[in-house]
Amino acid sequence: MNPRKAMTIAFFAALLGIGYVSMNAAPVLSGEGYSYHGETRWQTDYADAVETAAAEDEPVVIYFWTTWCTYCEDYNQNHYSDPAVRSELDDFTKVAVNLDSDAEADARLQQRYNVNYPPQHVVVTPEGEVLTRIPGYAPPEDFLAYLETAEERYQSGETADDGSSTAAAGPTSTPRPESGATTEAAQ
Amino acid sequence: MNPGTVLLALAFLAGLASTSLLTRAYLLDDDRYLSYVPKLTAATAVLLVGALSHLTYQFVSLDYSNAYVWENTAAYLSVLYRVTGVYAANEGSVLLWAAIVAVVALTAGVTRGFPTRRGKLVHALTVGVVTYFTAMLLLQSPFASVRTAFPNAPPGFTPTSGQGLNPLLVDPYMAIHPPVMFVSYALLTMPFAIGAVHFIALFRGDDGLFSAWVGSVTRWLRLGWLFLTAAVALGGLWSYTVLGWGGIWAWDPVETAILIPWLFLTATLHAVTNYRPGGRYRVLAPAMTASVFALAVYTTSVVRSGVFRSIHSFADGGIGASFLVLMGVTTLLGVVLPFTYWLLTEEDEVDASDSEPSGEGRLAGWVTRSNLLHLAVLLFGLLTFVSLWGLSFPVLRSAMTGLEVSVESRYYNLWSYPLVLAALLLLGFYMDFDREGLRRSLVGVAVFGLATLVGAAVAPSETWRLASVRPDDALVYQVIGNASALSVLPPVAYAILGTVKRTWGRIAATSSRDARLKESGITLIHVGAALLVLSLPFMYLFAGQASVMATGVAAGAVDTSQRDVGTSAYDVRVLGYERTEFPTDPEPETYALSSSQVLTRGQSLNTSVQTVHGTVTAIREGPQATVVQLDDSQVWIGVAGNGSVGLETGQEVVARGQVMWEFVPTADAIVLAGPETVGPADDPPDAAVPTRVIATGVSLAVYDDSGLVVSGVAGQREYPEQGGLQVRDVLIDRGPLVDTYVIAGVSDGTASISVKRVPFVTLMRLSIAALLVGMLLVFVFDPRHGVRTNSVVGSGESSAPTARDRPEGVTEVSER
Repeated sequence: MNPRKAMTIAFFAALLGIGYVSMNAAPVLSGEGYSYHGETRWQTDYADAVETAAAEDEPVVIYFWTTWCTYCEDYNQNHYSDPAVRSELDDFTKVAVNLDSDAEADARLQQRYNVNYPPQHVVVTPEGEVLTRIPGYAPPEDFLAYLETAEERYQSGETADDGSSTAAAGPTSTPRPESGATTEAAQ
Repeated sequence: MNPGTVLLALAFLAGLASTSLLTRAYLLDDDRYLSYVPKLTAATAVLLVGALSHLTYQFVSLDYSNAYVWENTAAYLSVLYRVTGVYAANEGSVLLWAAIVAVVALTAGVTRGFPTRRGKLVHALTVGVVTYFTAMLLLQSPFASVRTAFPNAPPGFTPTSGQGLNPLLVDPYMAIHPPVMFVSYALLTMPFAIGAVHFIALFRGDDGLFSAWVGSVTRWLRLGWLFLTAAVALGGLWSYTVLGWGGIWAWDPVETAILIPWLFLTATLHAVTNYRPGGRYRVLAPAMTASVFALAVYTTSVVRSGVFRSIHSFADGGIGASFLVLMGVTTLLGVVLPFTYWLLTEEDEVDASDSEPSGEGRLAGWVTRSNLLHLAVLLFGLLTFVSLWGLSFPVLRSAMTGLEVSVESRYYNLWSYPLVLAALLLLGFYMDFDREGLRRSLVGVAVFGLATLVGAAVAPSETWRLASVRPDDALVYQVIGNASALSVLPPVAYAILGTVKRTWGRIAATSSRDARLKESGITLIHVGAALLVLSLPFMYLFAGQASVMATGVAAGAVDTSQRDVGTSAYDVRVLGYERTEFPTDPEPETYALSSSQVLTRGQSLNTSVQTVHGTVTAIREGPQATVVQLDDSQVWIGVAGNGSVGLETGQEVVARGQVMWEFVPTADAIVLAGPETVGPADDPPDAAVPTRVIATGVSLAVYDDSGLVVSGVAGQREYPEQGGLQVRDVLIDRGPLVDTYVIAGVSDGTASISVKRVPFVTLMRLSIAALLVGMLLVFVFDPRHGVRTNSVVGSGESSAPTARDRPEGVTEVSER
């Protein structure tokens, strides 16, 4: 065979190979029924999640996020990729709600738990009673502490009074105004 | 119609006439009216450059009656950054591009003329591109009146202050990066036209013009490469100083977008070197030549059309669609046309290697310089594909399946890495083979290839591994990600050794000064490329960072003692705190309305909050308020309260407050100010003067074991009127081996100081300089296609070398 032809055929084979493998190996940001944050997988359908939680008898952590929120990016990197946080989260049913979503169910959840900026976590019982809230960004240690509190409350059957009281006692949370998102992105 | 639009319209007409006459001359093979073409082309260029100068003048003189000027500049900016505003958004960038292409087309027309029929079509295409850009500019003009932004404003209205320049562009690198990039894109227009016309001619049944124009193509491509390399490098250095895009290179879509034409242009230069008239590469070389520009247009569409999400799509808007059309046309002419030709014509091989000898002869038939060069072209093609695919497949996949996938820098890094190593090994082998012959070079490539594999397997520590691999990664990523960066050393060493050795021999063998300089240029480029590859992985893998907090800096209670920066080897001393607001003492005209401006705008100002300035001509103190007349006009300032306002008649004053139109019978307009918002113009109240930039920073000194490393101010600049956007002011010590990079975030009186240690940045700077100097030498001194030997050449330049020079690739026809 002509050497150049052979090389060219090999070239196209490599090209198709790279194209195919890379396209399939790319990490999925969101797909059917799930979205991915850091190294964790979250359900996107609250109704389904509640069923899972009831069956497993575990609390539900609802994560309200957006694509442009820089603290969400920090959560992805510092929390959802951290083995300690991930193993703690294994005891919860995880639901992620994109605040920019137009879906009616998502809008209802936002309204029900009065969430109007990202990121926020609300931990609830399968029945929807608030166990604790993590408004804004909490460093991993504090985040873990919140989750443990929620877990204990769930075991002992308590709930937070109205869901906002824990925020005051909790660690500093710094929701960033919208311009903050542009700031970070621009850097 | 304003002067700018008139210039554009005339340029469009001249360009259109020139294109039509040239096309007519080509189609009918009739030279009538052709004498007008040089004048028309010159007129187009002059008019476009005139329009660009007019826009620049409007920027420098802050002519806010132009909406584009108003949107992209402000009085507090220095002249340099006012000029930068010209290409801060789509309209101005396209104008800059169009003007440069027009000058290129003019230069090509003047130096070469268009004596042949096909030459006319080449010229028609380049002028056609200019005309298209001009049409885009007429549809979305950089000279639109500011009233498009204020539809309700009365005639003659101009705002007092501009919106300001995108803070990210307030950087010296950004002042030169875009023009350099557009020069390179403009230079690529010529090869595109030549390549496209070549295939049109082939389809029309003659043998095309590529063989006659190959020298000209080579020069355009080389000059284009020179500028494109500079543009990529300037972009990288910019992102390095404007912290946060991951250092020099972060594979942001826009960065990737400019790398794609660069990689493909590099491949094309190799392909054109491998071209022999009527023989090898007679389809591929012209086809690649034609498609570089198509790729450049594609990548520009990426930046400008907003099809792809990117963190720095500075500009979005209607020009996007025009770019998509241009993309379609250039793809058709530059890619589809050659490809169709290739499919339609039977490839009859004329290669000597077709007969298949056995044993070593057969191997020698495979290993020829032209085949190795072909392999290089293919490797660059694959590298281009990796970048192009990374940019494109998320869009494709989400369109096909609805799944959103992310492309991380890992994708680009891990796929490109083995390809780059292979390219370096190939470079070493090519050079080695050319000098030492087949047998010795095979041993060489085997040794260095093996060393590369061993290097990949030996990781002295985890830091050396290319990427942190996650267990659920695809196998390919696991394998390459786990490889050690040691693997970069053997290919780099082989490439440099081979190149230098061969150059040594070649320089010794020739007595021509030009040939020697050209050889040195080729060597500089290839050694530079190898060193660049060497610097990149280490720059990322061995960068270290540590942080320390300093509290109470704003209160003046700074602890100025030396303290450790985290676990790093650095110490830092905070020496002070600085906070500056810009502009300081601006002229009242730059932010406040005069009394006559208030009266001109009249009713439309009613109830809006405005800043006004003027000379006090009367003061009336009443029981509840004091009123002050400005400039003996119907505009008064009202200040509540019965005390004195501290103003005197004849004084220049500034006041801010709500404008009430026909609020009192005795005045047309009254500005309701308070004691805090009115004051003399030479010491205006803070509330009345806009703050455009708040620069906060700490002055600090960074030490390592051997003493002071760097000192200065690090901090941030905040732009309150531009969405609170913040830009870092970083402090960089550029050391021979290691850069020390200091970032300080100052808020609420606390400074968070991070010191980064980035190795090998200077090596990278040197390697870029080597690439540029090398290409300049080749461009000027190449005995065959250099500008020195070929400054003004007609279409009949020889493709056969003379005995004087021994240019690359002449001997390999008789390789066996």
